[in-house]
Amino acid sequence: MALLRLITLLFIALGLFRCAREVIIDLPDEEPRVVAICHFTEGQHFRANISMSQAVNEGQDPEQPSNVEATLSINGAYYDVLYRVKGDGNDYYWRSHQAKLAEPGIEYALSVRVPGYTSVMAKSSIPQHYSLSPIVLHSEELYVETRNDGSKELRIPLELQLQNLPENERYFAFYLTHDTDVYDDSVVPAEFDHSEEQKPTNFLADGRTISLLHNIPEPVVLINENYWADNRKTLYLTARIPFNPSTDRVTKLYVTWRTLSPEFYKYHLSLSRQSGNIPLSDPDAVYNNMEGGLGNFSGYSVSVDTIDIPEF
Amino acid sequence: MIRLHAVLVGICFLLTNIPLSAQNPLSQNIDFSCQSCTPSEALLRLGRETGLAISFSDRFFASCGNVSIQAKNESVKNLVDQISSCSKVGYKLIGNQLVFFRKTQKRTLSGFVEDAETGERLIGATVRVLSANNLGVISNEFGFFSLKLEEGEQELLASYVSYHSAQTKLNITADKIIHLKLQPNNRLKEVIIPAYSEQEAKERKAGSPKYLNLAELQMIPMPGGEADLLRQTALQPGIQTGTDGLGGLHIRGGNADQNLFLLDDVPVYSPSHTLGLFSIFNPSTVSSVRLWKGDFPARYGGRASSVLDVRTREGNLQEYKAEVSAGLFATSAVVEGPIVKGKGSFLLGGRYTYFEPWVKFFSKKGNLLTFSGDQVRYRFYDSNLKLNYSLSDKDRLYFSFYYGGDVFKNNFGQSFSDEKGFITDNSNLATDWGNSIAALRWNHLLKENLFTNTTIRYSRFFYQSRLGFRSDILYPNGKESQISNYGQLYQTLISDWSGKTDFTFYVSKPLTLRWGVSFTNHDFQPGALSANFLQPGQTEENVDSLASILLNNERLNAEEAEAYFDTEWEPYQHLKLEAGLHGTVFQVKNANYRVAQPRLRLKYEGLRNFTEWIGYHQTAQNLHQIGSFNISLPFELWVPSTRKVPPEKVWQFSTGVSWHSHGWNAQLEAYYKKFVHVLTFISSGDALFTGGAVDASGWEDRIAAGSGKSRGLELLIERSLGKTTGSFTYTLSESNRLFEDLNSGRPFPLRYDRTHDLKISVRQRIFNWLEADLIWGFATGNPITLTGVKFQHESVEGEVARDVFFYTEVNGYRLPNYHRLDIAFNAYFKTGGVKHELQFGAYNAYNRSNPFFLYVDAGSSIKGKAIQFTLLPVLPVFRYTVRF
Repeated sequence: MALLRLITLLFIALGLFRCAREVIIDLPDEEPRVVAICHFTEGQHFRANISMSQAVNEGQDPEQPSNVEATLSINGAYYDVLYRVKGDGNDYYWRSHQAKLAEPGIEYALSVRVPGYTSVMAKSSIPQHYSLSPIVLHSEELYVETRNDGSKELRIPLELQLQNLPENERYFAFYLTHDTDVYDDSVVPAEFDHSEEQKPTNFLADGRTISLLHNIPEPVVLINENYWADNRKTLYLTARIPFNPSTDRVTKLYVTWRTLSPEFYKYHLSLSRQSGNIPLSDPDAVYNNMEGGLGNFSGYSVSVDTIDIPEF
Repeated sequence: MIRLHAVLVGICFLLTNIPLSAQNPLSQNIDFSCQSCTPSEALLRLGRETGLAISFSDRFFASCGNVSIQAKNESVKNLVDQISSCSKVGYKLIGNQLVFFRKTQKRTLSGFVEDAETGERLIGATVRVLSANNLGVISNEFGFFSLKLEEGEQELLASYVSYHSAQTKLNITADKIIHLKLQPNNRLKEVIIPAYSEQEAKERKAGSPKYLNLAELQMIPMPGGEADLLRQTALQPGIQTGTDGLGGLHIRGGNADQNLFLLDDVPVYSPSHTLGLFSIFNPSTVSSVRLWKGDFPARYGGRASSVLDVRTREGNLQEYKAEVSAGLFATSAVVEGPIVKGKGSFLLGGRYTYFEPWVKFFSKKGNLLTFSGDQVRYRFYDSNLKLNYSLSDKDRLYFSFYYGGDVFKNNFGQSFSDEKGFITDNSNLATDWGNSIAALRWNHLLKENLFTNTTIRYSRFFYQSRLGFRSDILYPNGKESQISNYGQLYQTLISDWSGKTDFTFYVSKPLTLRWGVSFTNHDFQPGALSANFLQPGQTEENVDSLASILLNNERLNAEEAEAYFDTEWEPYQHLKLEAGLHGTVFQVKNANYRVAQPRLRLKYEGLRNFTEWIGYHQTAQNLHQIGSFNISLPFELWVPSTRKVPPEKVWQFSTGVSWHSHGWNAQLEAYYKKFVHVLTFISSGDALFTGGAVDASGWEDRIAAGSGKSRGLELLIERSLGKTTGSFTYTLSESNRLFEDLNSGRPFPLRYDRTHDLKISVRQRIFNWLEADLIWGFATGNPITLTGVKFQHESVEGEVARDVFFYTEVNGYRLPNYHRLDIAFNAYFKTGGVKHELQFGAYNAYNRSNPFFLYVDAGSSIKGKAIQFTLLPVLPVFRYTVRF
């Protein structure tokens, strides 16, 4: 809301003298290019979304070519060819065969050929995983906060400490979820009713930390590499879980921790920045590692830490 | 006419066999007698008796009486001393010849150049000694000058633009302090024509500094008739601005924050109002303006690209005067007069705008965005106070004060229905920003040729925005409820306290030394946001005391010590060397930066009215304003160098040639400039907004340091005499930036890079009371970044899809060319003791829709269709001024 107000301020101030008109400008001709987006991690299939780029003023959904040859290779040697799978809607995606799962430490190359267009190719690998130190919570660290509207939140201070901080390429992301047991308090004593599992968990952090976290179109929060400046090894967060003391019991907190390849990190950081662009500023360039086309082919490694929430 | 003649006497035919060459003839002892002789006769006799050839002029001893000497076995030297002791002469033995010469005594003539009517001191006036080969100096920032002259009668000529020159004869027998008074040229006040002498013009118009003509300032057509100093500055070659002046001044490829704006020697952090459309300098209060485009002397520091040194008027020392000026956007008034007649004076100025009628007018025209609401209020204001008091001939105190700012308020609301009910949102936004500046200065003459100035100064820039937001819902069952009610406060500020002392030592004509030290304490609050949910009866005004969320209240303190040594030396006639060193020590948190900045310029006044120069200047700055909007917005952060943010540095090499003759001046200058550690936010999204809030937290980790290059050729041709005057300026330039994190590490054009920039200004005197001004400008369009293609990003599970825009080059596209014609007529008349000035005309006379901003219309089916925003259409120019 504040963002809206400030942009409003900007435009109103300029609007004192503003007038707008339509003009036709001579944009350079851009032929459609093949777009391929594929993120992969250990033990999972390769799954790629393949489409064509469009002119900026194109209003239709992007075309998904049907005659696609998408091939995976390792060190120039054929590894697998992706096959076309129908998604939930009218979309299609391309995935690797049953036994062809991604493994860490191997550099994969994805090549996509669409007849009539320039072939595209990109390389990436699953990076070495940097784990978090075990997280142990004590009941005295937890507290309940009453919000202005009277509702309550369980606040859980977290210290996500890396066991080892790499010298460079400090590319990480995290995601918090939690389980809650819900009791029926209409009976005495309250009886267990049901469980809510893996619900997304909000968090608080100090101003600097918040400014260096990026929302990306993945179910993770990207951590800007500058966060780890001065060899800082710990990310301080406070999980906040909506909470009814008479019916809810938060049982587990899950910390999903990703170590990202440079290709993954740079692409998603640039996407995040572009989505935050504001009027009158230069748009942010999107990182592209798809030679001959557009998109992103990148790996990441992942671990999940489960934290038992103590009684309090 | 005094005729001098040399007499050679004393040719002696020696009969002696003592070889004179074997010993010093002055050390031989002789017997000598001369009763009641004139010194000339005595010397002649001595020459005959010793065989020495003695050369002298009778005039040397014209004021001496007779001498009587009766000496036995006395050395010749003693005899010569006795004979010549009555006069200030010296002598020298050259071979066998004793040559007398007059011992000339150098005296220091110093003083102040002043307005004869008001007593105000005149900055940059020329004082020339006609009897000493046109030896000349220019008065300093306080109207002071100093010369070393030989004793005797000297003839001085003092001159200043728009003043009658004054010629004075002085008999100089001792060091002297004088007050040269120049009579204002009243005729020229009605129709003002720059009035430099040929020699002055040759000196002043060759390279830096550029003295801006304040008389012209009042005549140039400006929007609404609001004379503006920065717009006049932008008419100089090598200076770029954004569309219609927005975005600040970009001098020779520099950033807007690299300009040092000084108001009475105090740095100004935000020199403009209305996002850059108007400057904070009220023209009626300004006394002098000097501009250096990067090649500034060592006494200036703190910014890397340019210096604009603005000095305010002192006020009339003799009588009370007033000036009122009303334009379409603003009214200004100035009153001045003596505090103690002839000793001290005051000047009080103010300016206030009335934009509301214009806002309403444009609102009715539908030019405002729909969400702007009907209660938009905007204004800016300036106030200036200057006091000065002469404690003695050698001491004077000055006090300067400025306070000004902008205020923007808007109340807006919207109502809409959703599935829950009918929702009404109401917001109150109040934003204000501005500068406070104060300086207390003490001028003191330690000696006739040693001038000192000690200053205590304060400068503060603040921005704050208060927002109140309330949302209510009306449910279908008729029940009402409040959804949200909160207030928010955002503040950013920088304030400085500093003290400095400057010394100027006029050693002799060929050598002037300047040195000084300063210490500044900077206090930064890069940006703090407070917010609170409001209880019933509370408003956003209570936010600061109720703040429950404070995203960033980091305050930074920095200390900056500066010292300089500067010299102007003329080792040979026509050759001038300006060399100096500026040193800075900057301490912030755990970082300490020491930067030495050498400055060098060699100037040669050649034959046939040509002057050539060559210079190398190294500059640095430890304060940075960082933003991403491409226009200078008030809430862009001023931040210091820190351990992670190194000082910005600039190297400039420049060379030029100028020619002046009979009111014509032509100048060609080339420069090459290199920028190191220029800063930018990596992403506009990183600039100030986090999670939907204004927030400066972690700013150090969100910016990138890069480099840049700029080169250009500047041509200026101007005519300053006659009924038709004007100028032609053309700049051919190229400026780029290089950041590892931007444009894939490739260099890209600076946002304000304009390959061609042409300005033509013509002033025609139609009648004695009427003059027409015409300015036409043309410039290559600014580069911007446009997206060419888009694609869709879908997350792996396919639950999120969004358009991703892709472009190949930062600033790879040029906006259409910029051009504009401004016309004004200036009329002058007098009724009784009141002088009237009337200006009327048109800004952007042929209503060119110059592009300010442009984006490709993503929703259009027409290829290349874009929406172009224009700022200023054709606008009337009108101002009426009375002086009494």
